[in-house]
Amino acid sequence: MKTYKVMPHTADVRLWVAGGSLEELFAVALEGMAVLIKESDEGVAPDNIITEKVEIESADQTALLIDFLSTVLTLSHQNKAVFRHIMFEKLNETNCIAEVRGYPADGFDDDIKAVTYHEANVVNDKSGNFSTMIVFDI
Amino acid sequence: MSAVKHRDIPLNKISDWQWEIPISYRKDMRVPARIYASEKMLESIFRDRSLQQLVNVTTLPGILKAALLMPDAHEGYGFPIGGVAATEHPDGLISPGGIGYDINCGVRLLTSQTTIDEVKPYMEKLAQKVFENVPSGVGKAGHHRLSINELDEVLQHGVKWAVQEGLATEQDRQHIESGGCLHEADPRSVSRHAKERGKDQLGTMGAGNHFVEIDRIDEIYDKDIAAQLGLYINQTVFLIHTGSRGLGHQVATDALREMMTAMPKYGVKLPDRELAGVPFSSREGQEYFQGMCAAANFAWTNRQLITHQLRQAWQSVMGNGNGTLEVLYDVAHNIAKIEDYEINGKMTKVIVHRKGATRAFPAGHPDISELFQKTGQPVLIPGSMGTASYVLVGAEGAMKETFGSSCHGAGRSMSRTKARKEMQGDVLLRELSEQGVLVQTKAVRTLTEEAPYAYKDVHSVVDVVHNAGIAIKIARLRPVAVVKG
Repeated sequence: MKTYKVMPHTADVRLWVAGGSLEELFAVALEGMAVLIKESDEGVAPDNIITEKVEIESADQTALLIDFLSTVLTLSHQNKAVFRHIMFEKLNETNCIAEVRGYPADGFDDDIKAVTYHEANVVNDKSGNFSTMIVFDI
Repeated sequence: MSAVKHRDIPLNKISDWQWEIPISYRKDMRVPARIYASEKMLESIFRDRSLQQLVNVTTLPGILKAALLMPDAHEGYGFPIGGVAATEHPDGLISPGGIGYDINCGVRLLTSQTTIDEVKPYMEKLAQKVFENVPSGVGKAGHHRLSINELDEVLQHGVKWAVQEGLATEQDRQHIESGGCLHEADPRSVSRHAKERGKDQLGTMGAGNHFVEIDRIDEIYDKDIAAQLGLYINQTVFLIHTGSRGLGHQVATDALREMMTAMPKYGVKLPDRELAGVPFSSREGQEYFQGMCAAANFAWTNRQLITHQLRQAWQSVMGNGNGTLEVLYDVAHNIAKIEDYEINGKMTKVIVHRKGATRAFPAGHPDISELFQKTGQPVLIPGSMGTASYVLVGAEGAMKETFGSSCHGAGRSMSRTKARKEMQGDVLLRELSEQGVLVQTKAVRTLTEEAPYAYKDVHSVVDVVHNAGIAIKIARLRPVAVVKG
């Protein structure tokens, strides 16, 4: 079930993400954003792993996902690194404590200015799957 | 009065260039919505959710007169791109969604005293030197790495800091909107994260639709004003399009998150999370405005340092006999400002939100430099690679109708994904070269995202604001060399 897909958008990038659990949704959204930041591993220094701890509290699970991605985007710019992996310490509808792992990269593909709340709405369907659209301001 | 309808939204025709969605359309509208476009251009506006977003803007607490949409409109976040709204000072809403993530994204025009024919033999070398001197792309540091204390000086004083550092002249400053410094800026309202993102980014272009372009003037529409501005046919000029980089993006992200939490405290309910806002006079509103002003100062300084780097490139390639590059003007197109307008016969202080819209003050306006008192403020409208850009000046219509605002560019009409599918980057490079446009970029693969076919017809966009009396066409520029991230 863990999947993401780039959808058309007039000016920016719209990403549809889905996972079998909230953890999977966060992980696949992170993976999707990482691919937008740097599609290939070219220029990546794999021996130099960077880990960062993120702690986020938000009003609901949609805001939590967007705030989580925004925080990781900030870390990417600060560290000039791409974060692709996540280990959760705690995750519920309003709180996320996790460690993200990534590698330094020599330049990014796209300048993601921000992760927006536009169209974001995390839905938990009858099968227990979680999905949402995420729009990135490029 | 004739009318058209898009889905369930009624548009009443006010003139050939103006349409109105009446306040009766939706119960939560506080004012009508007005759209500047020809009937033909409405078709492209109908393709996305620009109009729905514009109607949402009319619900902002404290909004005055009307929510406005410029002809280069497309869907944005909260506000549509090309959106203008003014709220009552001091208790009306301030909404980061009405300014955008790239605070003070804007355009600067530099003029030379050299014709394009004189520059042509050196064009390839000049474009290469510009590419070397102006770091571009994402995650690339600039030549000026500042300490946090130095950065605070930039955030506080904007281009005045660059003058002190010998990177700008006082004359440059007179040719920048607001003199390149908003006095309400407070570096304490900018987060550590934002400062960390910005401290090595001064003098960098970034990526996406940002560029440095070498153009030639190929058409003059108003000889008198063009002469007063020092513009002439075949003149070589430079356009810079960039903003506040990661620092501004972070200021906006931080503010949006804080405002969403604070809104219930002020009883603010809005139809879109990205419209989040608080009363301007509230603590959160003031902190955001101070941070936004600081980011705006950073953006003006960024374009100033790029100017400095371009002057070095120009001198290095063209030598000392071809003068230097002078700033004609520098405009912000993502910003909020406190300005005065006559509303219902009374001068009223307002908070103007311009999201993808350019200030367009006419001749005689007290807030523009003495240098432009007779001409009106230059309004710079960049097009896309391979088409054209325009220099206009602000006109009286802008003061009467649009809170002193005009359009800001051509406006996208095609998604990045579709634009990339239409053509390969190397094919576009070749086509542009055949048209006499030299492109310097490391991002050939993603170049087509910014191809001319992904944008609206800039000529039609500019004709709307000209015919509506918001801004007057003065000169047209054609790209000769484009440097992109």
